[in-house]
Amino acid sequence: MKPIRIALTKGRLEEKSVSLFEQLGYDCTAVREKGRRLILPVAGTNLEIVLAKAADVVTYVENGVCDIGVVGKDTIMEMGGTFYEVADLGFGRCRFALAVPRGVDFYEGYHTRCIASKYVNVARAFFEKKNMDVNIVKIEGSVELAPILGLSDAIVDIVETGATLKENGLVVAETIMEVSARLIVNIASLKLRKQEIEPFITQIERYLAGGKQDA
Amino acid sequence: MKRYDKVTPDGTRDLLFDECVSRAQVAGRLTAMFRSRGYREVITPSMEFYDVFGSAAAHFPQESMYKMTDSRGRLMVMRPDCTIPIARLAAARLTGMPMPVRLYYSGNVYRVSYDMRGKPSELFQTGVELIGSSSLRSDLEMVELAAAGLSDIGGERFRIELCHIGYFKALIGSLEASAEEKEEIRQCIEQKNYAALGDLLQPFGKNPAATALKYLPRLFGGEEVFEKAYSLFSGGGATESLDCLKTVYEHLQSLDLGDRVLIDLGLVNQAEYYTGLIFRGYFDGVGEPVLSGGRYDNLISDFGAPLPATGFAFNVDAAASVSASPEPDLPDVLVFSDSQHLAQAISHIRSLTREGLTAENSVFDQLDTAADYARRRGIRRIHLVDDQIQELDPETL
Repeated sequence: MKPIRIALTKGRLEEKSVSLFEQLGYDCTAVREKGRRLILPVAGTNLEIVLAKAADVVTYVENGVCDIGVVGKDTIMEMGGTFYEVADLGFGRCRFALAVPRGVDFYEGYHTRCIASKYVNVARAFFEKKNMDVNIVKIEGSVELAPILGLSDAIVDIVETGATLKENGLVVAETIMEVSARLIVNIASLKLRKQEIEPFITQIERYLAGGKQDA
Repeated sequence: MKRYDKVTPDGTRDLLFDECVSRAQVAGRLTAMFRSRGYREVITPSMEFYDVFGSAAAHFPQESMYKMTDSRGRLMVMRPDCTIPIARLAAARLTGMPMPVRLYYSGNVYRVSYDMRGKPSELFQTGVELIGSSSLRSDLEMVELAAAGLSDIGGERFRIELCHIGYFKALIGSLEASAEEKEEIRQCIEQKNYAALGDLLQPFGKNPAATALKYLPRLFGGEEVFEKAYSLFSGGGATESLDCLKTVYEHLQSLDLGDRVLIDLGLVNQAEYYTGLIFRGYFDGVGEPVLSGGRYDNLISDFGAPLPATGFAFNVDAAASVSASPEPDLPDVLVFSDSQHLAQAISHIRSLTREGLTAENSVFDQLDTAADYARRRGIRRIHLVDDQIQELDPETL
């Protein structure tokens, strides 16, 4: 039987995804002790875990080479694509925000603003909704640097605690959207392997619902 | 310097040899099946005026279409779909024909795809349209034909899912919400985004339509779906839609397709376009639908002729990816002659091909060069033609 393949976003979401699976009773020893292996079996089940960068999780699930994925809503919003987004896992919470240098009124005046962001599609959609023409510049690394260096008037970025912004003299001008980790599923996989995938989703939903009651 | 003179555009590809055979085999089996059921072929141009797709803006946003202008500056598109041109054709040219009209087509469609995401921008489709009937019989014919095609190509590995968009339309229609809110709700159902859907419907409280909408992505599975769906909502045509779906489902059961058919009432893609029964086909091991279709009773009216219609299209290359790759096409014989016997060699090729063999003409002057070519090409036999014909094994030459 072909295994059900789950793509997890490496890094921050990885640890939380793995502990979620462990609390559901899955043996994630292989993931904990992965070494250099890229495909990691979950002992005693027909599941396999793949670790990938966030954007690649979306690509793998969309193309059906992974059946299920755990990825941040930020990546989903930036990339779009066709798949089912079946659960909000609740962890990895942060928000998309427009941040500007402290003391600056972003909306004052009529000059065309320059916006630096790693999430150019999110930034574009946000300003399109406001009917604002802006120049968007893609920055790969620390986006906070762009207004300091004078490249941009503001940034659109992920904000968790706001500490990085504060250290760099920036403040949130507007929250664009709350984001968190999502469980995504390939469309054909859900249709073809319903008997295997649906119980897994239900198990996660039950766990999440239970967690909410405890809180 | 020419940078792009040795590569094909993003999302397109060259097909070579067995790739062409494999596509042609799948398309050929499908079109033979369509012909055997009384469908007739039509070919529409690969490019159309933009206006043809103008009314389908929701379905094909302008950024999804490749555009150009003709010699008079009129905006044209590479067709993103075959059904809309056929609707144009039906409204313009078929209204005088005895109805219903059964058509099939094969051709490329072009869609601007996301950059670097592995999706093609040129897709080869083969499909059918049944125009001029809104009866349940035509719905059943369409779904059964789709299933027969899926089974012919993929054997036991296919699934077909059915939905009736009327159920969703009944629910959303009775909800007091703005068009934007309704579209957001539809998207959440399409993506089975239970969490966001729940949040969107929260303000509607215990409203029965809202409760049913919240449950809609879960109305997915086998026969048990019907009972739940009937009990959730009945007004606004919901019951009639479910009746239609259930009848088709039951007929498919008696055709022994029961374990191949799924119901998904949350299949609400292109809800504006479809008006009745819709369906999609999947193959085990292919990460996207290989077939999609449904009833679109309003489309041809957009072109001025109120004709109901239903149809489906196969994504032929996705479907072909599951069928066994064809044998490499090796010639049976390489025919060689010296320069005195060129005409005899060609006559010999004619007689070999009449017998059903594949024979290649040697263009080499020397037998050893011909033998060397045959060995590298994998041809097992050389026929040496002079006054008589001698069969040689290239390996021993």
